[in-house]
Amino acid sequence: MQLINRRTALVAGLAGTAMTLSLGLTCLPGSANPAAQARIGAPAPAFTLTDSNGKAVSLADYKGKTVVLEWSNHDCPYVRKHYGGNNMQTLQQKWTGQGVVWLTLISSPPGEQGHVTPAQANKLTVDRAAAPTAVLFDGKGDTARAYGASVTPHMYVISGAGTLVYMGGIDDKPSSRQEDLKTAKNFVDAALGEVTQGKPVSVTTSRPYGCTIKLSS
Amino acid sequence: MDPGDEHRDDKIVSGFVLCRTHAPPHIAGSMPRDSHPRMPFAWAPVRRVGRRAALGLSVLLALAFLHNAARAAAPPMSELVQAQLIAEPPAVRAGETFWVGVRLRLKDRWHVYWRNPGDSGEATAIKWQLPPGFEAGPIVWPTPHRLPVAHLVNFGYEGETTLLTQIKAPAALDAGQRLDLRADVSWLVCEKECIPGEATLLLALSAAGTGATAGPDAQTRAAFDAARAAVPRPSPWSARMDVAPHALTLTVAARGLERAVVRAAFYFPFAETLVQHSAAQPLEVTADGLILRLTRSALSVTAPTDAGGIIVIEEALGPTTARQAFDLGPVALHAASVAPPHAASLLAVLQAAFLALIGGVILNLMPCVFPVLSIKVLGLMGQAGQSRAHVRRHGFAYTAGVLAAFTVLAVTLLAVRAAGAEVGWGFQLQSPLTIAILAYVLFAMGLSLSGVFYVGSTLQGVGRGLATRSGLPGSFFAGLLAAVVATPCTAPFMATAVGFALTQPAFIALVVFLALGLGLALPFLLLTLAPQLISRLPRPGAWMETLKQALAFPVYATVAWLVWVLAQQVGPAALFAALIGLVLIALAAWSFNVAQTASGWSRRLAVGTVAASLLATAAAVAGLGGPDQARPPALQTAAAAGTERFTQARLDELRAGNRLVFVNMTAAWCITCLVNEQAALSTDAVKAAFSANNIAYLKGDWTSRNPEITRVLEKHGRSGVPLYLLYAGAGEPVVLPQLLTPAIVLEHIARLGEPLQRRASVSTTHKE
Repeated sequence: MQLINRRTALVAGLAGTAMTLSLGLTCLPGSANPAAQARIGAPAPAFTLTDSNGKAVSLADYKGKTVVLEWSNHDCPYVRKHYGGNNMQTLQQKWTGQGVVWLTLISSPPGEQGHVTPAQANKLTVDRAAAPTAVLFDGKGDTARAYGASVTPHMYVISGAGTLVYMGGIDDKPSSRQEDLKTAKNFVDAALGEVTQGKPVSVTTSRPYGCTIKLSS
Repeated sequence: MDPGDEHRDDKIVSGFVLCRTHAPPHIAGSMPRDSHPRMPFAWAPVRRVGRRAALGLSVLLALAFLHNAARAAAPPMSELVQAQLIAEPPAVRAGETFWVGVRLRLKDRWHVYWRNPGDSGEATAIKWQLPPGFEAGPIVWPTPHRLPVAHLVNFGYEGETTLLTQIKAPAALDAGQRLDLRADVSWLVCEKECIPGEATLLLALSAAGTGATAGPDAQTRAAFDAARAAVPRPSPWSARMDVAPHALTLTVAARGLERAVVRAAFYFPFAETLVQHSAAQPLEVTADGLILRLTRSALSVTAPTDAGGIIVIEEALGPTTARQAFDLGPVALHAASVAPPHAASLLAVLQAAFLALIGGVILNLMPCVFPVLSIKVLGLMGQAGQSRAHVRRHGFAYTAGVLAAFTVLAVTLLAVRAAGAEVGWGFQLQSPLTIAILAYVLFAMGLSLSGVFYVGSTLQGVGRGLATRSGLPGSFFAGLLAAVVATPCTAPFMATAVGFALTQPAFIALVVFLALGLGLALPFLLLTLAPQLISRLPRPGAWMETLKQALAFPVYATVAWLVWVLAQQVGPAALFAALIGLVLIALAAWSFNVAQTASGWSRRLAVGTVAASLLATAAAVAGLGGPDQARPPALQTAAAAGTERFTQARLDELRAGNRLVFVNMTAAWCITCLVNEQAALSTDAVKAAFSANNIAYLKGDWTSRNPEITRVLEKHGRSGVPLYLLYAGAGEPVVLPQLLTPAIVLEHIARLGEPLQRRASVSTTHKE
């Protein structure tokens, strides 16, 4: 680099002003590349999807309410860990009982692991004693892409103002073992506790862990 | 037998280990963790396995079967992972640290994960249960691969991989004592779908006696050598990470690498939430080192505290590519400017555009441009009767012409850059050849400015013809051609802009070029907007020729500087050849001018002289292709004791004296050479084997393309280093592979006593 700069500078030095030109140019930093991803503190990407009862559901419908997004694939061992250990249902019951909106999203297209029909989705909710506000179908994967959801379960918390306040894993034990639930620190529970009390969320991101999310190409 | 032993017996099935997936919730809730459906195999007691291990079979093969009753989607009973625990020494000495490995063989297309699994997945984990006093270190991870899965990227392993661990034995052991090692290995194995699995692997070793004990057999040693070779080496270079809100820049101070040799580089961060794993990592190879531009993960919201990781560099070795991995060690973190990133980068672009604009205005004073401009201005005065709006339209047409020319130039350059990046062709400003050519081009330009010869008089004539045309197309073409015909004079400025364009994103490069064009068009545009300024302009005349000739001298100064740079890179003979090249360029320029004015025989003679002198110049610089001796010494390895510099004469002398000779052809910029020396040639085992066999070690440094070494390389069909030769007796030497492990070198030395044919077959087996 040194050599290039010195050469550039000397060549440019043919005329005094051109020297300034070249120095000015070489001082330019590389361009920033803001990734097209949902970001903490920014407005959560809007979406309108159909739920398991055929009703259209928009994020905008829940303005003023805290919203949880849970990406799911019921056959994924990591999702099975949280439902098998009654962890996910407990969280859903606890927070929907306090006015939080809990949306379970299924992005698996037909033929991929985790894909279900609306009827199967409702049966899963009953069988697992789950308590989401709604189960939404994102068969094209657009919402998953807009949020940068990469795994199941991938969790997001959106404040009443529509701002993304948490994204990442559900807890700090990236494993598929149910026994790890006992010692895990649940980030979603903590974020909901803070955001519903109007406090800033202390842990806003964590490593999302789980199965690779299945999206239609 | 304690309860632990019972558990162990439960899992061993005639040397096979049952591997369980996590049972579905309803089963897991009702069954204890360690239970599983029985498999139809005969049960074999652990002790028998242990005895066999003591008899030399230090390996327990454990086939891991996956039990998967939970889902119909995955194969119910498939062999996805075979796990095996292996140890290097057959017997453990008190106090020693020894290597063990968990070898995983995966079904085709399935993968397990590195310590940072990437966008999804989970790293393999090992829990050790060891005899009292034994301590296991962390997993020593082999270099991972990038595994794209749909739109995501994972880091892990396919096929077969060995996870190494170092175990330290206690200071006291009873000779012959039985040592049971137990590894509880858990993994996530994925193709598209993921299945967690685990296996309990057992291995019985024994404590060595006090006397000398046999080392590992050749096969085991080779297996461990290969596993260790797959682990990233400590980086010989320092690294820094510049942190911006959305971008990270990793600079690895590997100075003196050549762009053409470095095919690709990739950074694998240890931290899981630092980098957007799926983003491309554009590479730059500069004199300061390798620069990777990374996209910061959206999950990285606080200042990163640790940017440790490994860098994998793909190095061209003739037709093949070597993949070398380095652990970066501590990476210095630097926060980029605290100003908001968008504003800052916008400001920088505006600044660059403004400077380019000024540069463009200066271009108007160049002798090639000024006449075109003057003609248009004179034409403008001729149109004094026309409406101001009409004159203004001419101004805009001219501006459009200039901008069109600059857009074409910028797009062409960017296309060349993209193509160059694709074929791995770099801009090697370090190369003496490039510097010499640059000096010649500038020298020729200076000669042209001095009036020795004229370039593009036809082009300029056409330009004038078109420029004198009336009407708006005339103005457009005048603008277009002002940019084109200006080239001989504007090259120094353009070189700056071109150099800049090659280092910046396409958008910024385009903006800079357009600003340059706008600057060139600006004076004329202003005159059409305010025609009263025309009377203030200097008139074209003899002063322009004088100015042009005067401008030649800064160009000559640049040539002088380039020659000085060259002098630091090449020897006196090569420098003399390069200077003769300058004289030949002058001869060619002068002959070119003669050819343009003369006719008949003298014209043909002049044309012949131009051709001959250009050819001679090419011949003079051809020898400069190699890199320089003044290259920074980052990769230079100190000559080990007992190493001699390679010369053909010394090799002949040693061979005449019937010595065994090992020849190592290396270069400072060859990463593989460096790795081979660290990993194999400077290990104690290899050094000991060299001295035990009285092998002379000759090292040839090809950094500056030594012709004597080139001949040896060519003789063995190589176009580059590394080359390793082992000479014994009068015949042809044995050629060692380009990627060395201690085992490979030792094996070749061990085979020296055997007949030649067998030795040759060894070398081919190991050839890449």
